[in-house]
Amino acid sequence: MGHRQAHRGGDFCPGGGKVKSGGQENGGRQKKGGRQENSGGQMNGGEIRVAFAGNPNCGKTTLFNACTGASLKVANWPGVTVERAEGETEAAGRRLKLIDLPGIYSLNSYSMDEKLSRRCILEEEIDVIVNVADASLLERNLYLTMQLLELGRPVVLALNLMDVVQKRGMRIDLPRLSRMLGGIPVIPVSARKRTGLAELMEAVVRCGERKDAGTAVLRPKFRQKGGEGTDAGRYAYIEKIVGECVLGGEGRELLTEKIDGILTHRIWGIAAFLAIMACVFALTFTVGDFLKGYFEQALSWLTGQARGLLERTGTADWLVSLIVDGIIAGVGGVLAFLPNISILFLAMAFLEDSGYMARVAYVMDSIMAHAGLSGKAFLPMLLGFGCTVPAVMAARALESEEDRKRTILLIPFMSCSAKLPVYLLFAEMFFPDAALAAAYSLYLLGLGTALALARIWSRVFPAKEEHALLIELPDYRLPDAGTAAAYVWNKVKDYLDKAGTTIFMASVILWFVLHYGPAGTAADMSQSFGAAAGRLLAPLLAPAGLGTWRIALALISGLSAKEVVISSFSVLFGVENVSSAAGRSALAGALANAGFGPANACALLVFCLFYTPCVAALAAIHRETHSWRQTLGMAIFQLLFAWIAAAAVFQAGSRLF
Amino acid sequence: MRLSDGEIGRAYEVKRIGNIGRAARRLEALGMGGHAVIRVLHKKAGGDMIIRARGTRWAIGRRIAEGIFVREAGK
Repeated sequence: MGHRQAHRGGDFCPGGGKVKSGGQENGGRQKKGGRQENSGGQMNGGEIRVAFAGNPNCGKTTLFNACTGASLKVANWPGVTVERAEGETEAAGRRLKLIDLPGIYSLNSYSMDEKLSRRCILEEEIDVIVNVADASLLERNLYLTMQLLELGRPVVLALNLMDVVQKRGMRIDLPRLSRMLGGIPVIPVSARKRTGLAELMEAVVRCGERKDAGTAVLRPKFRQKGGEGTDAGRYAYIEKIVGECVLGGEGRELLTEKIDGILTHRIWGIAAFLAIMACVFALTFTVGDFLKGYFEQALSWLTGQARGLLERTGTADWLVSLIVDGIIAGVGGVLAFLPNISILFLAMAFLEDSGYMARVAYVMDSIMAHAGLSGKAFLPMLLGFGCTVPAVMAARALESEEDRKRTILLIPFMSCSAKLPVYLLFAEMFFPDAALAAAYSLYLLGLGTALALARIWSRVFPAKEEHALLIELPDYRLPDAGTAAAYVWNKVKDYLDKAGTTIFMASVILWFVLHYGPAGTAADMSQSFGAAAGRLLAPLLAPAGLGTWRIALALISGLSAKEVVISSFSVLFGVENVSSAAGRSALAGALANAGFGPANACALLVFCLFYTPCVAALAAIHRETHSWRQTLGMAIFQLLFAWIAAAAVFQAGSRLF
Repeated sequence: MRLSDGEIGRAYEVKRIGNIGRAARRLEALGMGGHAVIRVLHKKAGGDMIIRARGTRWAIGRRIAEGIFVREAGK
């Protein structure tokens, strides 16, 4: 394989899949009716279009990554991939356009992601379908193979996880399997170990070229043998195939059953989940804080060096202030939390790759039932602990459109990683002896509130149809270090991107609005445009104990990204290296002078937990719901809810502290 | 009997899928239609179950478990 590249995403268009900028989808080659023209002549100017189709969690994206060099997210639970991705590779002198699709169990699709796959397979001009199958679960995986063969399209069967098959002492008679599937190429691969990839791509090229030369499309023989078109007929033939082609391999998964005995226990299951999440956050705080110390030292050194260099070179005072007090204090203050964020995502990567995620759906199903949702809806909410944007998209895996929209509205109540720096800073400043408990209680408060609101919602607007849980539970496995590293690196990259763009811009803009006022340059921040804007809102926030212009302005800034609340506090209170002990102490002193105590801190944390999600999250909600009314309604509701909750906390807290 | 009445560790043969909406079609496609053998691995008081069918482990909700009519396998 030669040149490789890949990308996921693009705007999702419900009418026709992914839309590329600058042209119609697929260059306008899409046709309705499910079959492409087979001219027998030139095929796409030498390019072979290959769709990766298969059951959820069979390793399609891992295989796609291995073939294209991409690093798209993979994990060990069904429903990770919810959008298509395209990539390129070369084999046998031909260029291959590879399309990774969300997993489907059958062509009778239900959820939004499954419909996307079905549409691509049936309606787009695909030259070869690579049917990726989990070789260790052949009996279930072959159902889709049957349906794909019934379409009469060129299919190559990629038997993934062959290493697992061998480990279990199973053996698959590949030539016989190929014969029983009408002679289609059957290629054993291991996407994780990157074996069999070249053979697979060569088989794809051979299959594509045969069609190119006008060769008759390979047709399955089972139609005559098993009865066409009925599930009973397909499974009868699958049983025959498995009986003749799969040998050995009993007595497996004992470890999985034992672990399930504890983690899905009818009483301890929920306690185990809460304990696991507590461990995740404890690691995030303790290990993250340990590493953060080094970041703070580096930041402190950088600040000193930058100030010294700028002053030595005679840089104008305002520019020194912009760079040091605005950019370094703002962006640096947020970057200092990178170790905490990395540990959080590392822990999430381990959870997702271990096989535990799908169990959470089972464990939480009875609680989610009170909220009118199935346990599967809990998975996007759990992903919301990382970032709202992919979590909102993950709701596509839910079968019911109604459930999907309801779940999307609950996700912003979860504490995303952007809220973590706010929790850490204020919990450590005002509750140093119980910072971990204070921060964890915010995670639980968000989760509990989301479930309570969903319950109220389901009572007021009962669901038209109850959607029961149905989710595959994969075997547990040791998380793969490479997968976890790619997962964390992607998140770190996002965080750095955000620090370099949104947080940088927010810090610069904030510096300007704080240093310029109606009279030109503001000698005192209190005479600036920023102060004027903050003063407008401050009275509204006074009942919540947040009624000073600086805090009002920091909260407004937080609408761009929640981390900006931290950078804004740095800039507004002129504190360098705000996450360090000295920085926290300086900020706590400045806040105390403004009459801001523990009760105010509690109210601020609750407000940050609940108030309107960031712009990127709102854009994702709009993209997924296609409704401005729902998106803006959600934004306004969360703002009001945050205000009421923060006011209640402050009024109660000011009597306690 | 319904699968929801099944006991942990026992295997059941599916007689038919009841009226459980779209989930019925999905179960058929997943190989849990007539004559399929389902083993109950785990069960919660609320009716949710973990089962194994055609080599795959599934978590199913109470409503689905109540919608699968079975008899003990081998009878």
